[in-house]
Amino acid sequence: MSIFKKHNTNADRSASDRRRHKEKIEKAIKDGIHDIVAEESIIGQSGKKKIKIPVRGIKEYRFIFDQGNGSKGVGAAPGKDIKKGQKIKDGKKQKGKGRPDKPGNEKGDDSYDVEISLDELAKYLFDDLELPELEKKKSAELFSEKFKRKGYRKKGIRPRLSKKETLKNKIKRKNAAIRNKTHDPSEDERFTFHEDDLKYKHIAVTKKPITSAVIFFIMDTSGSMTKRKKYLARSFFFLLYQFIRYRYQNIETVFISHTTEAVEVNEDDFFKKGSSGGTYISSGLKMAYEITKDRYPPGTWNIYTFHCSDGENWQEDNPKALEYMSKLVDLSQLSGYIQIKAEQDKIWGQEMAKIFSPLVSDSFKVVNISGKKDVWPEFARLFGGKYELQ
Amino acid sequence: MNSSRETYSIKDLKVYDEKISEIARSNKLDWYPINYEICDYYEMIGHMAYHGMPSHYNHWSYGKSFERTHFYYNAGMEGLPYELIINSNPSIAYLMLQNDFYLQVLIMAHCVGHSDFFKNNRCFKDTDPETVVSKMRNAKRRIQDYIEDPNIGQEKVENFLDALHTVRFQTERYGIPRKSKEEIKKEEIERFNSYKEKGIILDYDVLNKRLLKKDHDLLSFLLEYSRGYQKWQLDLIEIVKDESKYFMPQIKTKILNEGWASFWHYKILHELNLSDSMHVPFLKMHNAVVRPHIGGVNPYHVGFYIFQKLEKEHGIEKCFEVREIHDDVSAIRLFLDEEDFRELNMFAYKREKNGDVFISEVSDNDDWKSVRSEMIKNTGVNTIPHIYVDRIEGDGTLVLKHEHDGRDLDLDYADNVVESIRHLWQEGNVKLFTIIENEVWEI
Repeated sequence: MSIFKKHNTNADRSASDRRRHKEKIEKAIKDGIHDIVAEESIIGQSGKKKIKIPVRGIKEYRFIFDQGNGSKGVGAAPGKDIKKGQKIKDGKKQKGKGRPDKPGNEKGDDSYDVEISLDELAKYLFDDLELPELEKKKSAELFSEKFKRKGYRKKGIRPRLSKKETLKNKIKRKNAAIRNKTHDPSEDERFTFHEDDLKYKHIAVTKKPITSAVIFFIMDTSGSMTKRKKYLARSFFFLLYQFIRYRYQNIETVFISHTTEAVEVNEDDFFKKGSSGGTYISSGLKMAYEITKDRYPPGTWNIYTFHCSDGENWQEDNPKALEYMSKLVDLSQLSGYIQIKAEQDKIWGQEMAKIFSPLVSDSFKVVNISGKKDVWPEFARLFGGKYELQ
Repeated sequence: MNSSRETYSIKDLKVYDEKISEIARSNKLDWYPINYEICDYYEMIGHMAYHGMPSHYNHWSYGKSFERTHFYYNAGMEGLPYELIINSNPSIAYLMLQNDFYLQVLIMAHCVGHSDFFKNNRCFKDTDPETVVSKMRNAKRRIQDYIEDPNIGQEKVENFLDALHTVRFQTERYGIPRKSKEEIKKEEIERFNSYKEKGIILDYDVLNKRLLKKDHDLLSFLLEYSRGYQKWQLDLIEIVKDESKYFMPQIKTKILNEGWASFWHYKILHELNLSDSMHVPFLKMHNAVVRPHIGGVNPYHVGFYIFQKLEKEHGIEKCFEVREIHDDVSAIRLFLDEEDFRELNMFAYKREKNGDVFISEVSDNDDWKSVRSEMIKNTGVNTIPHIYVDRIEGDGTLVLKHEHDGRDLDLDYADNVVESIRHLWQEGNVKLFTIIENEVWEI
């Protein structure tokens, strides 16, 4: 005589293991992210753009057989008309129908490609970093409060139940079940709702200080800035831009590109367009300086200035460049000079990083980037991130 | 038909449990008492993540397993297993609330078959079904204590478990009990003395070399030969080792176990005299369970076939004998012939570099044996690469070897596992020798 017991607990027995697993995924994303921040595909994309990040470190390794070239397997055929040498699978697709419930030895679905949006990426990247001394100028600080529909949640109060989303989930699940032959509509018309189908509208209240800040992005687009260098400069600036966008609500940006002459451009042109010609570093700096005078009086604005070039300048321009950089450093909360230069590159005369070195302080930093691998560590360094280099 | 779900109570389940038990007893099945836990699908996924053990230590991999099952289930890509029963005395089985009544009846009949198999199959004789549940509960408690111990903590425990999990199924494979260090030593001394009586003096070097036999049980080996573990580490090794020992028989007998349970639920069905409204869906479900999986091996399908064939050709006694003394590999080798392979419609395939897959052999006169040997390679313990301890070198280096059977290791995985073993082996470096594309490869 068997015993029947109705399981009457609300305990969700795997909850803590799931949380731990999630933490590991997040850590893996954080670790993997720095490899992809300099990927071409993300530059110049909007915050909603989804990117795929390969996540490592949560595989469960054990000895398994190679499933690649030359490996064999066995299975049942659908009919008798099979022949030796017949091709049964083309390229990819088909996965083992292994059930994950028993200890087994299939390789399983161990590798993840996690898809996250640029906004989420920013969260992972930038949570540990901060803009220094932003508190300094509080005169223009206000608070904004916003009520915003913010997606859907699995839990919620009844009035916020989204019938449409809930129904959509159910239909999705039903269609998938039909596709996979776990449900046959001709036999069972009913396909019940599951708790997991339920979706509630979520409303979020956000309260953020409004701070007035302006960021100057200045980039050398002269002929000596090769395509590769421009690309590195853009990835650095793009990170910077995302970071600032992530951190502060009310922020203005000024994009200046220059050769021997400077021109203020919009964001799109700044990140996408190239040009050619010689270099007067001072032209870009001078323009930034003049714009602050006109539009962003330092008394009420937090100013951040970043300049990117390959370190080459016409010799006669050096004193003037130093002069304007020094003026900007005085006005700014933080400014930086980012020199993009491969180690073997020869520079005529003195490189700009050297010229600017007397100005280096807590509020002015010189950053050297020689390749993709430097982009993130140098970025983190600039903002005093707690992120440790690996 | 079948559009309105029948409602039923525990009383109804009990009525059928009685009927099923009656039939099973009269057919000489001999099983543990069964405790059925009735749960909803969400709890079911939870139990599945821990292989049905009512209590199990915590580790993130079980959270991962939950997420996967939950995801596949919600995406409609996979149904949940209808039955989940563990090898314990009493056996514990789970019945999902959402199941129709006929399905609960099928599951109960199926579970009786499993429980009988657990109780009687030779492979399970050392699995301690009486104590396994409380042992796992205690292990969970102890591990929780280590996690909460400020001198140990979550990270250390987790890292150590991570490493142990990589080699947990590198354990004895052939049912031959492992000899402990002490036993080997005793044997060798006896041998030495018996030679001495005959006037032959053995070289001490030779004797020393004989003190470490090839060891297939990595965790037992570590316990004996790696010094300097802390108490909690020794305990974790024991816990993981015991669990592998407990699950290994299930890996070895998946086909026979499922076959036996299906064979019996099918027999019981015919003796239950169900009304058509239950008989027909029961039969349909049975057919779905034992149907071939195209391109794969469905253990229910092959196992059910084996027992049906044995009964037809040799009578029911033979079936009971096979359920007692065989595992999947021996059953395939002994009981499936050319005709059966044709009937099961099995074929072997080969993967090419570009991802294409070609049929390499079909079950015909020339090739059925190749198909069989491929099937055996993909069955039971043969799905786990055979790695053994070969020797310990003078400087403490642990030398592992891979018993290569024509199949190369996945190198990325092997690299990572060896790295884990380095974490576990405290006496020196770790080397693994295998063969990759016909050449010796050292990791």
